[in-house]
Amino acid sequence: MNEYEAKLLLKDYGIKVPKGVLINDLSEIDNLNLNYPLVAKVASEKILHKTDVGGVILNIKNKDELKEKVKELMDKFSSPILVEEMLSGGVEIIVGVTKDPTFGHAIMFGLGGIFTEVFKDVTFRVLPISRLDAELMLNEIKGKKILEGYRGVRVSKEAIIGLLLRVSKFVEDNPDLEGMDLNPVLARENDCVVLDAKIIR
Amino acid sequence: MFDKLISPDSIAVVGASSHPNKIGYVVLENLKNNGYKGRIYPVNPKGGEILGFKVYPSINDVPEEVDLSVITLPAEVTVKIFEDVAKKSKFIIPIAGGFGETGKEGKERERKILEIARKYNARIIGPNTVGIYIPSTGVNTALVVPERSRFPRDGDIAFITQSGALGLLTMDSVSMYNVGFSSFINLGNRIDVNENELLQYFGEDEKSKVVIMYIESFANGREFMRIARNVSKKKPIVVLKAGRTKRGGKAASLHTGALGGSDAVADGAFKQCGVIRAYDEIELVDYARALAYGKPIRGDRIAVVTSAGGVGVVTTDYIESEVRGIGMKMAELSDETKRKIREEVVPFASVENPVDMTAQASDDDYDGVLAALNEDPNVDAILVYALFQTPLISEKLVDIITKWHREGNKPIVVGTIGSEFALNMMRKFEDNKVPVYPSIERSVKALRVLRDRAKLLEYLEGL
Repeated sequence: MNEYEAKLLLKDYGIKVPKGVLINDLSEIDNLNLNYPLVAKVASEKILHKTDVGGVILNIKNKDELKEKVKELMDKFSSPILVEEMLSGGVEIIVGVTKDPTFGHAIMFGLGGIFTEVFKDVTFRVLPISRLDAELMLNEIKGKKILEGYRGVRVSKEAIIGLLLRVSKFVEDNPDLEGMDLNPVLARENDCVVLDAKIIR
Repeated sequence: MFDKLISPDSIAVVGASSHPNKIGYVVLENLKNNGYKGRIYPVNPKGGEILGFKVYPSINDVPEEVDLSVITLPAEVTVKIFEDVAKKSKFIIPIAGGFGETGKEGKERERKILEIARKYNARIIGPNTVGIYIPSTGVNTALVVPERSRFPRDGDIAFITQSGALGLLTMDSVSMYNVGFSSFINLGNRIDVNENELLQYFGEDEKSKVVIMYIESFANGREFMRIARNVSKKKPIVVLKAGRTKRGGKAASLHTGALGGSDAVADGAFKQCGVIRAYDEIELVDYARALAYGKPIRGDRIAVVTSAGGVGVVTTDYIESEVRGIGMKMAELSDETKRKIREEVVPFASVENPVDMTAQASDDDYDGVLAALNEDPNVDAILVYALFQTPLISEKLVDIITKWHREGNKPIVVGTIGSEFALNMMRKFEDNKVPVYPSIERSVKALRVLRDRAKLLEYLEGL
């Protein structure tokens, strides 16, 4: 499924995503009720890694620019475009689900960006998880100090724990799930917002 | 469930041989030499007598139904005679290779013998296995050269292994320290009896204080977690998990799929079901001994007692470091403890932690220091080095430390460093079921495992 559909599913489970609209036709841009700056992303289940193919445009500042960029993406990919409010601040984290051949569905948590890519600073638990499991996961990663509030950036651990438990519930209800990447998730002072979501059934 | 496998009243050795280098001879010899008390029925068409036992020409001639049949014949012969054996046996150990591990034809052989076993309600251990070794009942089906290896004595550790050879090598190497085992079972190709049933069984077996496993792949991971979670509430489980499989399938294109090699997931799974992980055969048995003999450590504060300053310093590094260490804390000894040590016990000792009694330390000094630490509310566990190289230390130190291990309030781990004499003392500690280790690092890691055990118990209670 594409990112828009994935985010609709997540919202049903009380998981926060940025305010956004799926644009099928350029004319829909005139009636948008979103606060700039915005992000435009190609929403196609065929394109998993959008950034790699130039399918994401950040920091769109006004309606004219939006029209231009959305048209550009539509022409390039012949696909609907997801337009969302652009959020900033907080700490990037990653939450994912994989289907292990031995243990079945397992959830992953880690800090985003280079912590995941380079240091592989992530931890796994077999699903479903308890609240205690979620707490231990937060405490287990090497970069855990960043979650304690680093250089004035505050993060709600409670919100991250809540997200992990909601993902656990989601997988329990959707046993046909093959995998999920919520990456990045913005962990902020009061909440956690999933900026990008990939779900494979 | 497996009582008659562990303690069979009768054993048939199908494929018994009079040639001393054949497995069909060695199994009989093992049964004879290890003091197996039950009835033994060698089976060989030639009949006659082997090692003083009457040989039966066929399993059909054996005068009773046996608890255990060990088949020491090649795979294709095993399949041929399997129905006759299954009719008369509760448990069957087909030793031979040449089954599923060799390909399609072998798989078919496995399918056949499993079908026959099911028909007659017999259970199969293996095939392609060294079988089982049970010190307390003298059952031993393993083929090794007796002059070049040892079988351990009876003890507290139940050992389930997917690799027979690694299992036997591990037991041989720790026999040097007098370490004992309650049971050893090699799963082999695991077509019937698997690690989950055995874990459940040893979980309830009073002789086994700890269950250790060498596993390359789980028969059923979820089932393992369910059973392990129950067992580990009562007794510790240590797993040496080898083999990292690659992730395949659609989800490998996701980040999480790529990062979640099954080893990372297994690591999480173990934490959720109370399993302690070992990474080699030394850790496997070291941790098993700590957990079987020691008490869980319910805090991070460690007191170290030594008569060698350098040992104390290196130990401090190992205890406090996160990297190449266990990330725990050196205890801040209470004023009362310091006063007792200085005024009543050893005036010349360093009364800070590590407590260094210097080369002038005597057996009685150790006794006094351990007595003081035993009462200190700031101490969660004690690592005491028993170093026998100085003149005022005698073998009596083993008894003193054993006394505090048995009667004291604090979990104790013992380190001892040295050659033959130290090794002898290590054996004495082992005889007394005191967790003892021949190096600083191994001693400190035993502390961490006992701390992990306490945390796992808290976790399992908190779920």
